[in-house]
Amino acid sequence: MSRIFGIDLGTTNSLIAVIEGGKARVIADPDTNDALLPSVVAIAPDGRVYVGKEAIAMEPRLSREEEGRVSAVGFPGGEYGAVIRSVKRYMGLGGAEVAEQERRRYAFTDVSGPVVRFQIGKRVYTAPQISAEILRALKLRAEKALGEKVERVVITVPAYFNDGQRQATKDAGRLAGLEVVRLVNEPTAASLAYGLNQLAEGKVAVYDLGGGTFDISILNIKGGVFEVLATNGDTHLGGDDIDQALVDWLLEGTAEALKADRHVWNSARHVAEEAKKRLSSVEETELTLELPGAVVRKTLSRAELERLAEPLVKRTLERCAMALKDAGLARGEVEAVVLVGGATRMPLVRRRVAELFGREALCSLDPDHVVALGAAVQAGVLMGTQRDMLLLDVVPLSLGIETVGGVMERLIHRNTTIPTSVTEKFTTAVDNQTHVDIHVLQGEREMAKDCRSLARFKLGPLAPSPAGFPRIAVTFLIDANGILNVSARDERTGREHSVDVKPSYGLTDEEIERMLEEAIDLGEVDVEERLLIVARNDAHQILSALAKQLGEWGHLVSAEERTAFEQASAKLEAASQGTDRELISKLVEELNEMTTPFAERIMDAAIKQALEKKSIEELS
Amino acid sequence: MTLQCPSCGREQEPQLICQQCGMPLPVELDCFAALGLPRKLTIDLPALEERYHDLGKRIHPDRFASSPPRVRSASLSGAALLTRSYRTLRDPVSRGLYWLELNGEKLAENNKQVPAELAETVFEVQEQLAELREAGAGDGALRREVEKRRVELGLAMDELREGLARNFIRWDRSDGSDRAELVAELKSILSKIAYMRTLIRDVDRELDSPRTA
Repeated sequence: MSRIFGIDLGTTNSLIAVIEGGKARVIADPDTNDALLPSVVAIAPDGRVYVGKEAIAMEPRLSREEEGRVSAVGFPGGEYGAVIRSVKRYMGLGGAEVAEQERRRYAFTDVSGPVVRFQIGKRVYTAPQISAEILRALKLRAEKALGEKVERVVITVPAYFNDGQRQATKDAGRLAGLEVVRLVNEPTAASLAYGLNQLAEGKVAVYDLGGGTFDISILNIKGGVFEVLATNGDTHLGGDDIDQALVDWLLEGTAEALKADRHVWNSARHVAEEAKKRLSSVEETELTLELPGAVVRKTLSRAELERLAEPLVKRTLERCAMALKDAGLARGEVEAVVLVGGATRMPLVRRRVAELFGREALCSLDPDHVVALGAAVQAGVLMGTQRDMLLLDVVPLSLGIETVGGVMERLIHRNTTIPTSVTEKFTTAVDNQTHVDIHVLQGEREMAKDCRSLARFKLGPLAPSPAGFPRIAVTFLIDANGILNVSARDERTGREHSVDVKPSYGLTDEEIERMLEEAIDLGEVDVEERLLIVARNDAHQILSALAKQLGEWGHLVSAEERTAFEQASAKLEAASQGTDRELISKLVEELNEMTTPFAERIMDAAIKQALEKKSIEELS
Repeated sequence: MTLQCPSCGREQEPQLICQQCGMPLPVELDCFAALGLPRKLTIDLPALEERYHDLGKRIHPDRFASSPPRVRSASLSGAALLTRSYRTLRDPVSRGLYWLELNGEKLAENNKQVPAELAETVFEVQEQLAELREAGAGDGALRREVEKRRVELGLAMDELREGLARNFIRWDRSDGSDRAELVAELKSILSKIAYMRTLIRDVDRELDSPRTA
C-alpha cells in the first residue's frame, strides 16, 4: 500500500510533508525549491486553473482585463475570472453564513443555500472544489519531487472546526482524488512535531494564530500519549483580520467609492501585509499605495500596528483563559508553550502570550512548517512506523439534540476525548406515530436556535403501536476525525434501523459524485485535455439551462428565435462530441449572446410574477 | 461466558482486545471489564491512567488505518467504550453514581429535597449571594465574606469526598450483608455532593461576574 503524506491546508499557505526514518520533512517544489504553496487559486476566463505563485501572478491580469464584463446567463456581477484567497474561511459555511463584509470580496450565489458558492464568470465553484485545486497542486508537487504516487493523506484542520467544516475538508480531499485517512487538529499536529524529539513530558499549551483561524489547545504529554485536555478558538480570527484593520487605517480619508472597489482593497491588503511583516523586525516603516489618480503615503510604527492589533490579540487571550479553565489548570501549571502560525511572528503576540502563561514560548521549529511536519508524524502513526505514539484529541464543541420547547440537550460535552459515543433512547409521543424526527445540533448555547444545526434525520417507518411503546436506541459516535456518525437499533426487535442523516450544511454525496465525474481526475490529464473537459461542461451547462428555460418560458420567444436557438444548440451539441475545444467555446459564446435577450425577458417576467404574487398576498 | 475472536478464532473471556492476535473484539463490556479491572471501588488513579494509555495505544483506530472495515469499526467502538469507561471511573463521584447503576439503584429522579444537614448552609449562602448581587461592586466587606464562605464550602466538599472514599473502602471489604446500609450511605453522600457542587458553582459565578469584581 502506498505511503501516507501529511498536508497542512492553510488559510494563507499550504504544505505537504512526509516522514522518513523517523524524521519528518517538508517536500519543496523541485523546480522552485519553495516549501510554502500560497493558498491562492486563480480561475481564468477559459476555465484554466492556477494555484500558488502562478495564481498570484495572474491577479493583475484577471482583475483588470476582465473587469466590467458581466455574464449574461447566471447572476449579474460575476466576472469571467477570479482570484480566490483564504478559501478556508468559507469551508463548510452555508450561503447565509458569509459575513456582509466578505460579500464585497467575492461574488457569491445561492446565498440562502446549504453551501457557499462562488460565481466565477459562467461557472459556479464551492469552497471544497477550490480547496481541492490546492490539494491537487500539492499532490503533483510531491509526486514530481519523489517519483511516487500520492494517494493517501492526513490533512490538518483548525481544532475549533465544527463538523461541517471538517466534512468539507474531507470532501475537498475526495475531489482531489485523495483518500483522507485522517483529519488532525492543527495545534495537536504541532505538538506531535515538537514532541518527536524536543518536548519534555508534561502540560503543554499550543497557541496557533494562523492567517484566518485561531486555536489554543492544552495537552498532557506522557509516555508517548498526546492527550488533549481542552481546546478553544475562533475559526474566523487570524492574521487576515489584522491586515483588514490595517487596510481600514490605510484607506482612512479615501473616497467611499474607492474603498468599496475590490481591486483597491486587494492592493491595499497587499501593502498592509508587507508592512506588517516588516514591522516584526523594524520599528517603523513607509507604506505606499497607488490609487487611480492618487497616491497614499503613510508611516506606520510598530506601536501603531500594535494598537490596531491589540483588540484581536486580546480576544485570543480570552480564549486561552477559557481553555485553561476547561483543562482544570492554573496559568502557572503549564510547563511549555508552543507558538504556531505566521501571525505569531508579531512581537506583540509573543509578549502577550508570555505574559499570560508566565514563560517564554518555544518557537525552535518554523511556525509555518510545524503543522505539516506534525501531519507527517501522524501519517507515520497511521502507517505503524511510530508505534509508541498515540494522539487522543477532543471534540471542540458540544453535540446535542433539540428537545421540547426548542431546548438543546447536550449529549456529548465539549472537550470529551474522541472517539466517543453516547446512546440515547427514543420513543413516540402519540399513538401510531410512524416517524421520530431528530435534529442534531453543535454548540454551547442553551437554545437550539442559537446552536448550529448539524443534521436532521427521521427514525422509521415504525410499525403502528401505542405512544411510548417503540424503543429505539440511537448511537451518536464521534470518530477520531471529530466527525459524527449515527446509527440506530430497535431495542424490541434488535433490528438495525437505517439512518438517513441529512446534513444541514455542505455538499451531498450525489453532488460530490457529480463533481467527481465532471472533474475526472483533472490532475492526471494534460492542460489541453483538461480545457476540453471544461469546455464540454460549459456546453452541457448552457444546453441544459436553455432547454429548461424553453420548457418553462417558451411563450417568451418568437418562432424565428426558437428555430435559431435550436439550430445553434444542435451545432454546439455536435461540436461538443468532438475535440475542437476552441470551436466548442466559440459556439458556447455565440449561443450565450444569442440567448441574452431571452434571458433578460425571463428575468423581467420572473420579477413581475414575484411582485404580482406579493401584492396578491398583501391583498388577501 | 466466553467470546470467540473473529480474526483468529481464539475462545476467551470477554475483553477489548484479543489476547492472542491483538485485534479489537466487538463486545459490550461494563466500565470495569473494559479496563480489565476487578469490580472494586477503590482505584489507584496513576495505575488507571497507565492502563488507559496502554490499552488506548493498542485499540485506537489509528492502529487499524489500513485494516478491513469490520476491524476498523470494532476498534472505533472499542476505543469509544474505553474512553467512556476511563472517564467514568476516573472521577470518584461519577464512579459512585455508576456503581449505584450497576447495583440497580439510582439517586432519586426528583432529587429536590435538600439534605437536612445542608439545608441551613444552602439557605445562608443563597441569602449572602442575593445581598452581594444587590450591593454590587462597591461592597468590599460583603465580598470578602463570600470569599471566606467559598473557602469553607471547599473544605466541606473535601470532607464529603473523604466520606465517599471511606464508603468505597467499606464496599470493597463487604461480604454483602450490609449492602442496604452501604447503598443508603452512598446515595446520601452523592446527593450532598451534588448540592455542594451546585452551591460552589453559584458562588464562583457570582465572584467571577464583572459586576462584583
